[in-house]
Amino acid sequence: MAIEESLERKETTVESVKYKVSIENVDAWYGTKRAIKDVNLKVKEKTVTAFIGPSGCGKTTLIRCLNRMHEMTPGARADGRIIVDGINIYDKSIDPVIIRRRIGMVFQKPNPFPTMSIFENVAAGLRLNGVNNKTIIREIVEESLKNAALWDEVKNELHNPGMSLSGGQQQRLCIARALAMQPEVLLMDEPTSSLDPIGSSKIEELVRTLKDSVTIIIVTHNMQQAARVSDFTAFMYLGDMIEYGATNQIFMKPEKELTERYISGKFG
Amino acid sequence: MARLLDIGLERITNLILDMGHLSEDLVNSALESYEKGTMLRAQIFEGSEKLRFLQIEVTDFATELIARYQPVTKDLRFIQSSMDAAYGFSRFGRYAYDIAEVMEIIGPLQNCDKSEVSLMAKTTKDMINLSVKSLEKLDKNASQKLYMMDDSVDSIFRKYLKKALTQTKKRNYEPRCYVSALLILRYLERISDHACYIGDSVHYVVTGDASPRR
Repeated sequence: MAIEESLERKETTVESVKYKVSIENVDAWYGTKRAIKDVNLKVKEKTVTAFIGPSGCGKTTLIRCLNRMHEMTPGARADGRIIVDGINIYDKSIDPVIIRRRIGMVFQKPNPFPTMSIFENVAAGLRLNGVNNKTIIREIVEESLKNAALWDEVKNELHNPGMSLSGGQQQRLCIARALAMQPEVLLMDEPTSSLDPIGSSKIEELVRTLKDSVTIIIVTHNMQQAARVSDFTAFMYLGDMIEYGATNQIFMKPEKELTERYISGKFG
Repeated sequence: MARLLDIGLERITNLILDMGHLSEDLVNSALESYEKGTMLRAQIFEGSEKLRFLQIEVTDFATELIARYQPVTKDLRFIQSSMDAAYGFSRFGRYAYDIAEVMEIIGPLQNCDKSEVSLMAKTTKDMINLSVKSLEKLDKNASQKLYMMDDSVDSIFRKYLKKALTQTKKRNYEPRCYVSALLILRYLERISDHACYIGDSVHYVVTGDASPRR
């Protein structure tokens, strides 16, 4: 419980913390292949940061390093430091399970638990973490579904299967499931890539709303989406962090020619 | 492989350069008609209207490019600046028409001293030409030159305004000459301002920054 206690202790002085996440000299490997090369980046609290770049540039690998999911791939490892609220999450004393509890993740394809109801999908994480009080669970489920902008659509069918929802609703259900754990950082790996435009725009609106309470890091192939939802944008190429800055600056006047060429569609 | 956006950018470039050349011809014709005393109001009005329609076409097309391709960085700056430049060129056309209209309203001006107007007209024509060329070549340095020329245009206007005010009690004072010259000098002064704005737009396209004089 060391990390959880430390993180909670830090919350009392969070006003003085300028950055929520600091990525310091991070390398990531798949066997002998170096997928991330000495990346450094600081993410401000309660902002949306987008990782963009062509396929294979390392953006998904980097986001998976941020909650220690990368190391779950056989043969994969990461070096360097990732500091969340002053704690290095790669410290040997840190339990990665607790990290994943505090740093939520939403994936490309919605993945509700197929045998569970809408209600149980959101409650599952709470139960796994020892919350058994039914009133508390009900309150958190409702709050999470509201925060995921899904409550009004499902409040009368909470006991229907999660899989009965549309793709866009399923993705918001997954966001609600992540929010139920009250994460401080929410990682989103191409969360709209399998959704239609209406489902995508609802997720984008949700991202803008959620950043009032959560620090969000989103991987996207859709540059217009990055431009719409993010405050900061990081452009990656072949495992290198090429440029990182305010989204307005990146999309109007990038400093690096490579960034300009990529976001203008002049690659290849 | 060319991007689809590039085809649109090429078309918008051709449109604004056509506007630039047409507006330059119109201002030259209007000034020539003032110097020679010929009446060209109808022809210049026609050209001015053409510029107005072209400006609408540029704006519509630029909006379509933004909607279709969601351009960023230099592409977006170019489209934004094209709309500004198209507005500038359409203003050149309108001022050319205003110059032509002065003679229609005030009447023949054969006996007036036209030297100040000729002096300012030369600089203003050079400014229009430079603004069109700066767009053609995306010359970010034209902006500075245009502002220096604009300073001399402003200076001529202010001097003539003072002169006009001190001449009213002279025996041979001819109000038609002074009023017409002042109006035309004012239109030329406005044209030179718009030439500067076009230079600013080009500077912005190339550097992403506002012109230092702006």
